[in-house]
Amino acid sequence: MKRLLGVALGILTAIGGFVDIGDLVTNAVVGSRFGMSLAWVVLVGVVGICLFANMSGRVAAVSGRATFEVIRERLGPRAGLANLGASFLINVMTVTAEIGGIALALQLASGVSYMLWVPFALLAVWLVVWRVKFSIMENVTGLVGLSLVVFAVALFLLKPDWGALAGQAFALSVPAQEGAGVYWYYAIALFGAAMTPYEVFFFSSGAVEEGWKIKDLLQSRINVLLGFPLGGFLSIAIAGCAAVVLLPAGISVTSLSQVALPVAQAGGQLALAVLILGVVAATFGAALETTLSSGYTLAQFFGWSWGKFRRPAQAARFHVSMIVVLLAGVAVLATGVDPILVTEYSVVFSAIALPLTYLPILVVANDPQYMGKHVNGRAVNIAGVIYLFIILVASLAAIPLMIATGAGA
Amino acid sequence: MSKAKRVQPQEIHAAPYPAGKVLDAQLHLLDRQVLDVDGVPVTTVDDIELSGPEPNEKIPKGAPAPQITALLTGPVLGTRIFGGRPPSSRLIRIPWKSVAGVDTVVTLGVRADSLDASWVERWLRTHVIARIPGGSHEPE
Repeated sequence: MKRLLGVALGILTAIGGFVDIGDLVTNAVVGSRFGMSLAWVVLVGVVGICLFANMSGRVAAVSGRATFEVIRERLGPRAGLANLGASFLINVMTVTAEIGGIALALQLASGVSYMLWVPFALLAVWLVVWRVKFSIMENVTGLVGLSLVVFAVALFLLKPDWGALAGQAFALSVPAQEGAGVYWYYAIALFGAAMTPYEVFFFSSGAVEEGWKIKDLLQSRINVLLGFPLGGFLSIAIAGCAAVVLLPAGISVTSLSQVALPVAQAGGQLALAVLILGVVAATFGAALETTLSSGYTLAQFFGWSWGKFRRPAQAARFHVSMIVVLLAGVAVLATGVDPILVTEYSVVFSAIALPLTYLPILVVANDPQYMGKHVNGRAVNIAGVIYLFIILVASLAAIPLMIATGAGA
Repeated sequence: MSKAKRVQPQEIHAAPYPAGKVLDAQLHLLDRQVLDVDGVPVTTVDDIELSGPEPNEKIPKGAPAPQITALLTGPVLGTRIFGGRPPSSRLIRIPWKSVAGVDTVVTLGVRADSLDASWVERWLRTHVIARIPGGSHEPE
């Protein structure tokens, strides 16, 4: 019974933890412009994140090595440093976007400008990173984040023409009013939002934090294989709401209130309240994950002592670097830059850095010195190589498309 | 076109038979995580220091093989990436005699706090982390 409860908790946490500000904004933008015609990208992204999160979790559980230690060891210091630079930059961007997201959600709830909420969000995130135990942090934000299910409920309440939505999703073609370049640009953005590298850094470091052993592998596999697809389903529901309400009205998403509009229209005040709770939890959880991930990547590259299972005094450099990252994120927000814009760029830059993250995991998951008899099976390797190819294409196409389309304008 | 003349070596010595585990410095030592005796991460192996002949120095016959004297860390990582060589006084050494084992990680037989390699960690601990309330408590 206790084990069953653990599995259920893990799945729920994975669902709630899957969606962050990147998924919220990108899916709503895409839904409002392309309807459901990019839903397939979410599917492709979810399968990819399941594949690689599972692999990195297995590497961490079997060898006790988190992803970035492996990256440094396999790529060497030079390519490792390039990877660290890219991942760290994206992490700081994502931290900025998530803290902005918390503040925007609180603005939506209170009417007080988000700028005034930023310091509170910063302090709350730091306090949790500083003092709260890893498992509690994971479970609380994940469970409260589940209230984003309100998007799925709203989609039902809106009574859409399901046939038309499915038709858009399966047509696999560029909608008439948009260009092909913009379509593919947003495909890459969605893919980047679903497969953000921080999720893998966080997942593998979390496995070390929670002291996973080989016997825990089955549970982690269930968490990933059920939780992430259900999280992906939430993403599609966000796009669906936007496709039903915003697309026909010609409203383009430039703020969080437009993301929330369909839910408010479908379920009124109560649904809006649940939505805001969900957004705060999801962005707060993701702010914690990205802050920790930036600490994890730095510490693992340089071999510092890290982890929330240690007292801060036993992981001094790890904690100092996270404080610096949080302050840097808030400094960026203080310039008055639009957090939604930061989010939109961060998901595309994530897509660019993907190959550097996922290649070393695939290599080490095949190394018997680390993995013993738990090396990858043939099917996983074939899928992994196919995904590396997709990731590489997306990564190479991202910058040319960004320039050609004026970042999707 | 003249055929290149082949030089026949006078005498070929077999490589000395290794007594024990063979380690490839590049593969098994460089960039590996270093843990102390309690399993606390200390650093990554940024470079290694060898005893023996300087570059371009003539090696007398029968000279002993070079040995690893220390694992290096600190500014040497920067010069390994960008080229150059830090002055010997700037190298932070972990003497090879403190190494207890080499596996997927390098384990030491001493505590991290007793090493020069952990000075940044100790400095930040006493000057920053210990001054923030809650810094030396377990997370709850």
